[in-house]
Amino acid sequence: MRDFAARLITHEARARGVNFEAPIAFAVLDEMRNHLTTLMGNGGHRALLMRALALAGAEVPWLRGIRVAADGSLEGSGSHAESIDHDERTEGGVVLIAQLMGLLVAFIGEKLTLQLVREVWPKLPDKDLNFKI
Amino acid sequence: MKKQNAAAKRNASSKNASESAKVAIRQLPTGVRGLDEILGGGIPEFSFNIIAGTPGCGKTTLAHQLVFANATAAKPALYFTVLGEPAMKMLRYQQQFSFFDESKLGKSIRLFNLADVVMEQDLDAVLAEIIKQVTNVSPGIVVVDSFRTVVRKVTNGASEADLQNFIQRLAQFLTSWEATTFLVGEYAESEIRDNPLFTIADGLLWLWQVTERNSVVRKMQIMKLRGQASVPGLHTIRISDDGLQSFPRTLGMTGKKARKGRRKRLSTGIPELDTMMGGGILEGDSLLVAGPSGTGKSALATHFIDEGLRQGESAIMALFEERPEGYTARAQGFGLDLRTPQTSGKLEMLYLRPLDLSVDETMQAILDAIERTGAKRLVIDSLMGFEMALAPGFRADFRESLYRMIGALTGAGVTILSTVEVEDSFQAMPLSHYAISFLTDDILRMRYVEIDGQIRKVMVVMKMRGGNHSKDIREYVITNRGVVVISPPQTDYTGLTTGIPTRVGKREEAPPEAKATKSRERS
Repeated sequence: MRDFAARLITHEARARGVNFEAPIAFAVLDEMRNHLTTLMGNGGHRALLMRALALAGAEVPWLRGIRVAADGSLEGSGSHAESIDHDERTEGGVVLIAQLMGLLVAFIGEKLTLQLVREVWPKLPDKDLNFKI
Repeated sequence: MKKQNAAAKRNASSKNASESAKVAIRQLPTGVRGLDEILGGGIPEFSFNIIAGTPGCGKTTLAHQLVFANATAAKPALYFTVLGEPAMKMLRYQQQFSFFDESKLGKSIRLFNLADVVMEQDLDAVLAEIIKQVTNVSPGIVVVDSFRTVVRKVTNGASEADLQNFIQRLAQFLTSWEATTFLVGEYAESEIRDNPLFTIADGLLWLWQVTERNSVVRKMQIMKLRGQASVPGLHTIRISDDGLQSFPRTLGMTGKKARKGRRKRLSTGIPELDTMMGGGILEGDSLLVAGPSGTGKSALATHFIDEGLRQGESAIMALFEERPEGYTARAQGFGLDLRTPQTSGKLEMLYLRPLDLSVDETMQAILDAIERTGAKRLVIDSLMGFEMALAPGFRADFRESLYRMIGALTGAGVTILSTVEVEDSFQAMPLSHYAISFLTDDILRMRYVEIDGQIRKVMVVMKMRGGNHSKDIREYVITNRGVVVISPPQTDYTGLTTGIPTRVGKREEAPPEAKATKSRERS
């Protein structure tokens, strides 16, 4: 799931013409926010992201300083992340996306999760739409 | 004459004009087996419908089947979820059903969560959001699940007139946008009278869970449907891996064929019995075999099926007591092979023992099997086991349902042999405690009699609707060849129907099965 998350970040970074880095991970989550809010409402999306953040925070300590705002965006992702080592920041982004994807897979299954990802990133190559590689 | 012709032409042309002026209402398939028949063809296009009922009776599943059956990329479905049905949970559970096609989600089926608007804003905002989404998507189907939570949340402080106005505007908008709408909600029957929603709706599909003793049965009623005639009354529904399935009360009654003028006689597989019946059972008849436990009703039924198989016919056995393996093994003991035809698909043994069964479900299972196999013979063994398998609520209507079922099956050209257990009273010879003899064409009664210190078995044809039959009471035995009627017939007894006959002739014949003999004790 981490590889999949890394591929998403890379895809988003390429689309934005920037390097693979933590803020892009938050941009990925923000892209998903619109779709997930349409599907499950703001409350549903917030609850899911908070759970993903809690799980990711257990693996990457600096994520514990991040909060989910009322509108479902991530608070503290900018200022807080700046003081963190680059690799750690990158890992934090990957882990958080991987946890969110993991939750979606647990709830609605791989097929529907991949379909959701396809809707958010229609240009994502088919070969990257796979949790197992 | 010319004037008359001209008038006739005018009438005909005016009739044609009035017929062509009628709007043709297209009917949408529901995707629910049996429901299109109940609705009178399907859901009228552009109608505004309510799917109501108590929790757990299948409302959301029904809505999903409707959506999956009709949504296309060109004419998508827009599914508004609200508080009662979070999208994640809905997707999680609904994808377990076979009708769920995930490839339709996104392009053909759009899910939209209305919860935030409902929670934070008023009826006007909810309507505005629905209008915005419908305008964007231009859907063929719109579902709001649950509409009850929309109304409950946003009407706090709103008057009844506001609510009526909201529903009216919603209905007008969705119909104008050529959407067929389903509002799903938990309602109680007592609300029907005062709720403006039910007045405005074109269709009202009500689902129930009926509890009786330990059994729970789901039922559906089309309380209202504008523009077409639906089948009245309560219809059984069941939720399985395929989603909702409904069993119309009219199941099997449509397309009933009239019996042919001259029908052939089918052998029972017991030549002497065929003779007693005037040559065999008339094709398409329903034969009731009544007798106490152990008299050989199932053995006789096995002969009947085996004979059909020998003639190249297919057959169905609907078993409610004995398991198919036991049945097959016993037949083998008589030298009858039921295993090979089961493997080749000529014989299907339906072991129907689900919880809370309904007669309509049974009939559907049998009709499906008949369609699969082209069966000409059917055994129902036994009616008592059948009744026991039914939910208590259906037992009250057992006779009526059985009448419908047997009529439908024989109407389809199937010859039926049903067994029923009756107790021997040794005073009289009842045919069946169900008083169902009116719905069978032929009746064969088997019973025990006490003769010369032995309990022996006799059978008699009580009724053959299609012709004359033997009135003889014939003794029979069950051997390793199955049911064997003793020949020549004995006429030396009277009072056989009481079970304790009196000898009127000489004691000349040997007992059909050896009697115990006295043995001297060794000292």
